[in-house]
Amino acid sequence: MVGSILTSCGGAGTAVAPKVSYIIDENNAVYKVIKEAQTMDAKDLYKKAMEELDGKEFTGIGNSSRGKTAKQYFINYLQGKDADGNPSDAIKAAFPYYNPDFKTTINWTQPKENSIFTMIDTDIQASKHTISMTLIQDANQIAAKEINTGNFYNYVPKEWVGSDDNKEPFALQSLNKIFEFNNKGNKTFTNCWDFVRTGEAPMFMAPNSEPVGRNWLIMLSQKKYSDILMDAANALTGAEKTRIEKEANDLAGKAKSFGLDEKSGKYGLAFAKLWLTQYAERNDDGPICNELVTNDAKGASACIVYSKLRSITESDTSSKKNVTVAAYQDGYKGIGGYMYKHYLQILKTSPFPWASCAFIHFMTCTYDGFKAWGKDIGGYCSNTSAGIQQDHSNDGYNKDGKNEFPVLNDRGYNWWTGIGEGKGNLVIEDGAYAASVELTVGTWIDTLKK
Amino acid sequence: MTNTPTAETPNGKRVSKLSKFFTTVGTWLGRPENAILLILGLVLSFAVLYPLWSVIANSLTVHAGKEALIATSYGYSVQGFQIVNWWYLMSGPYGDIYLWEPLLNSILLAALSCVFALLFGGTAAFLVTRTNMPCKKWISTVFIFPYIMPQWTLALVWKNLFWSAAVTGGSNGLLAFISKGAITFPLWWCQGLFPSAMVLGMHYAAFAYILIGGIFKNMDASLEEAATILNTPKWKIITHVTIPMIVPAILSTILLVFSSAVGSYPVVHYIGGKNFSVLATSYIELRAITGDGYAAIIGIVMLVIGFLILIVNQISMRSRKQFITVSGKSAQATKINLGKVFKWVCAVLLILATMLTSLLPIFSFGLETFVQNPGDYSAFTTKWWVYHENGEVGMYGNYGVFYNKAIWTSFRNQAIVAIVCALVAGTIGFLAGYAVSRKRKSRFASYVNGISFFPYLIPAVAFSIAYYAFGLQVGLGGFTGTMILMIICGSVKYIPFSSRSSLSAMMQLSPEIEEAAVIQGASWWKRMGRIVIPIQKSAIISGYLLPFITGMRELNLFMFLVANNDQMATTSLAYFDEMGLTPFSSAVNLIIIIFVLVANLVVNLLTGASIDSGIGGGKKNA
Repeated sequence: MVGSILTSCGGAGTAVAPKVSYIIDENNAVYKVIKEAQTMDAKDLYKKAMEELDGKEFTGIGNSSRGKTAKQYFINYLQGKDADGNPSDAIKAAFPYYNPDFKTTINWTQPKENSIFTMIDTDIQASKHTISMTLIQDANQIAAKEINTGNFYNYVPKEWVGSDDNKEPFALQSLNKIFEFNNKGNKTFTNCWDFVRTGEAPMFMAPNSEPVGRNWLIMLSQKKYSDILMDAANALTGAEKTRIEKEANDLAGKAKSFGLDEKSGKYGLAFAKLWLTQYAERNDDGPICNELVTNDAKGASACIVYSKLRSITESDTSSKKNVTVAAYQDGYKGIGGYMYKHYLQILKTSPFPWASCAFIHFMTCTYDGFKAWGKDIGGYCSNTSAGIQQDHSNDGYNKDGKNEFPVLNDRGYNWWTGIGEGKGNLVIEDGAYAASVELTVGTWIDTLKK
Repeated sequence: MTNTPTAETPNGKRVSKLSKFFTTVGTWLGRPENAILLILGLVLSFAVLYPLWSVIANSLTVHAGKEALIATSYGYSVQGFQIVNWWYLMSGPYGDIYLWEPLLNSILLAALSCVFALLFGGTAAFLVTRTNMPCKKWISTVFIFPYIMPQWTLALVWKNLFWSAAVTGGSNGLLAFISKGAITFPLWWCQGLFPSAMVLGMHYAAFAYILIGGIFKNMDASLEEAATILNTPKWKIITHVTIPMIVPAILSTILLVFSSAVGSYPVVHYIGGKNFSVLATSYIELRAITGDGYAAIIGIVMLVIGFLILIVNQISMRSRKQFITVSGKSAQATKINLGKVFKWVCAVLLILATMLTSLLPIFSFGLETFVQNPGDYSAFTTKWWVYHENGEVGMYGNYGVFYNKAIWTSFRNQAIVAIVCALVAGTIGFLAGYAVSRKRKSRFASYVNGISFFPYLIPAVAFSIAYYAFGLQVGLGGFTGTMILMIICGSVKYIPFSSRSSLSAMMQLSPEIEEAAVIQGASWWKRMGRIVIPIQKSAIISGYLLPFITGMRELNLFMFLVANNDQMATTSLAYFDEMGLTPFSSAVNLIIIIFVLVANLVVNLLTGASIDSGIGGGKKNA
């Protein structure tokens, strides 16, 4: 029996948020496994995975290269070892079916240049299947290309505890890309519109190169976020206020034709347009961060993944102290950046469904499983149980207890996703909403390339 | 008895015809060149037409997601083959931004790259082969370095050198850093058409150098001598004699450079800037924002451009004039005396130019491996090479290169794939060149010749995606399967290098030489081993070296096929670049370059052949 439930679409700017729903074939062998796995304890699930995987080659595909690290920790766990490969009594107690001689190969590939959907679809359509599961980003395309087509199945571990927002599709973690600026010059950035004021060129990855950035710009049209932008615009003064108001008013007709909120929709479009017109394109966040921390990047600004700051080594010309997180400033107005998610999904043709479920369980329900991501600032596990997410609120303090790098003190998921004065005000990616305005707002954004 | 086929009965006649047919076929196949043509024709047809059909079918398929949204909003079905993708991309809101403007930019980029490559490579070839300029061996050896390096690494060098906080935003590049911001370059120099074309021109100048240099080296000097005797002015000799003689090499260079530059993605990706897009960047962007159907259309446009250039090239080749002198053939091309001072001026200028294009990038890669933070030249460290403990956060958990098993394993895998690809592509290309030259008037030979060049025109990304699907169908997954798949894909893609090299060499070899051996009763193997291969050894080995070099620095073709990102050196390199760990990517690049140079040197020492042999370098010119 094929149960077919399609995405329900709320109006673009309305308060009713559209939802994604999965198309399920109840006779599908993978679905049957997932259904059973969702009721199983970890140790029984892992045992099933070991039986399935023993001596075989499993392939996962993902947008995050750290899946490579997590897979090794997973194999270690099945062998009764900790992440460092040392035998662990705690793991042996939690998973009595461990086998120190267990052998398997887990391939982890991270396709480049937006090819992950091509590879997944090609694998699904082939007569023989290789890819079992994926760790994937870009909620917009996931909804349109894989969930609405019945290619992906959702598995939520029994032990997982978290927000319903992270359940369908099931998220491993949320990551933030935030507004930062180099504080060596005289420039100030106390309002999100300052990043698009005249002459400003914030460094950013091209939205068509990393579609989560494109989704962010689409999300700005949602009432919740266009309201924040409108309030921030109202807080501006002088020539910049006049300029922003003019930009917004020029786009009022466009906002109306897209069915956006009558009052604030135009501000969402205005920010997207100015951002796309003014940003300085870079190929990746790592190189942007390397530039931003230098002494000679006075007044430069960027919107990048928060965790990139951790790789900077202090030197005469580069310092984390040169960077300020815009939203951490008292009195900062407007959005602090955006948040996207890494989703864990199982292909309907997965050759190893038990192992897929177990690996997903391991990454989301154990400390070692999330460790590959959890050691960094700016990444927040969807599982809110104690002992999974590492605390980074004091990462900027040195051994002497001095707050040496305040920029590294991560204020955490709740602060960043909070809306209002003194909160992060991040724009959170919503695949269902983005997919619902793809043809209108999405197409318009694509034509604003220049 | 009545059923026995005889010559008198209709049955008997049929058998006789059948027998005659088989005899004819047997005789035809008994000639090695025919058998080679038949086998290569069949194999190459599948190997090339399969990805080609895959691209065409993709362009006519409405994929889930935005493509389906657009199609349904215009009343098209999403089932079967539809033309809606073509119609929307050509006339819809995406047309100007993702098709027409990038098309114009791609043609400009390719044309300018050809100009740079021809000017730089052609001038160097002329000075090395036709003048008494000193330091030829050094220049000849170093000149091919940029071709060995992946394109995008040269683009990174350009960025690291010329970008500045004042012009491109962010931090200062090396020159602005050293001069404390006093030296800056205008935006058009840093980003867009000019720097992209310069980098591609530098990269492909090796083609011009090798092809034009080869003709200069072997050209009949009697034509120029005859003109000189007739008191023809020097400029007229150059424009009316010298240049017409190197026209085939110029056309071949244009064909190779133009086709490659049209499909080049990484250079524009790194230094094109957001206001300069080409077909290759559109290809990647459209796959992200719409789907594979729109991207496939861009792939087809790129392919058509390449195909048109190929046709123009063939027409030009056919119509080119033949020259002859009545004074007989000169024994050796005369060297132009540049004069005591000018010959050194030329040498110094060329050495400086090659240092900028060849040695500076290598120095830059080396320097990057010793900086604390990428792009920060104020503090140096050896950690990227020697660190081997846990806890060094700046290295994302990686050990230094010397202790990094994953880097060395990926390098070994890359070398295995490149070597096997070179052996397969080199051998197939050699056989194709031999068979086509022996049957040069046959239409089937022309077909094999054309189809063997076709892989060069298909964009690498589209080519590898088609082979990825092929791999899945035949069960080539996992580490071993993907290694085999990369070898198959790489071998087919690199056949044009070896077939072109082999064909031009075989065309110079008179069939009479081999026919004489046939009369003497020498077997085909003997003829090949004792006559054909020894005579054209240098060109044949070049046909192996070019695929090897390309395979060692290949990323686009392999990135879709690997089972793990650290499986190949270039995919590791791309990962390190993306993570901002440029010291690691520079180190991997350095290892690749050194390996290729050493391999080229070893081949040169063992066989006397090398990529630049026959021009200025190589054992026989030492």
